[in-house]
Amino acid sequence: MADLDARARHHIYDITMARGAPPTVAELSTAMGVATDQLRASLGRLAAGRVVVLQPESGEILMASPFSAVPTAFVVETRRYAAFGNCIWDALGIPAMLREPATIRTGCGCCGEKMELVVDRNGLATSTGVVHFAIPAARWWDDVAFT
Amino acid sequence: MLLFRSEEHVERWGRQWSLPRGAVMTPERTWRLALAWFGPNRRLPEWRRPSLEETERLLASLGLTGPFWNLRRPQG
Repeated sequence: MADLDARARHHIYDITMARGAPPTVAELSTAMGVATDQLRASLGRLAAGRVVVLQPESGEILMASPFSAVPTAFVVETRRYAAFGNCIWDALGIPAMLREPATIRTGCGCCGEKMELVVDRNGLATSTGVVHFAIPAARWWDDVAFT
Repeated sequence: MLLFRSEEHVERWGRQWSLPRGAVMTPERTWRLALAWFGPNRRLPEWRRPSLEETERLLASLGLTGPFWNLRRPQG
């Protein structure tokens, strides 16, 4: 099981980093040549280990952090694609993981005014505003969708 | 975690939603946190999620200490 889980993690991030969004269970099954029921069990273990977050009804991947499978308010534009981060930390995590420049587009959490952070080859190139972490670190995983 | 135009906007947002103020940091420090957390290659078989102790050391290395960043004791 550990081997399957490590393979699944490899393929999840391989696909996600290549295109900017996590694979579906069906796509992962095809890529790995593993039956979907085995994969769903593996995804359950990866979710229990906090490697991925699954959608509550479908069991599809919701988050392969820092990437989101669904649109969010954190758009990350790289040279290859536009991806969605789960939060502003994750949005910065996408260029950090890819080791590529990116522009992060979002709005002020309070008033919605457009805001932008730019990461270039040397790191964070333009910076504006402040980042707010709402939930104490010990409770981040109580409800990962609200942090 | 959200980006705000200023601390004043954080305060206004908190009042609007009746939420307590959490921790505020610069985008620069958040970038360093993102590099430390998401930098290691998750495709490698040997990758594993950092342990509690490793995460504590990582946070401390970025100056993120105090009750808000305490991983062992749930806050109020």
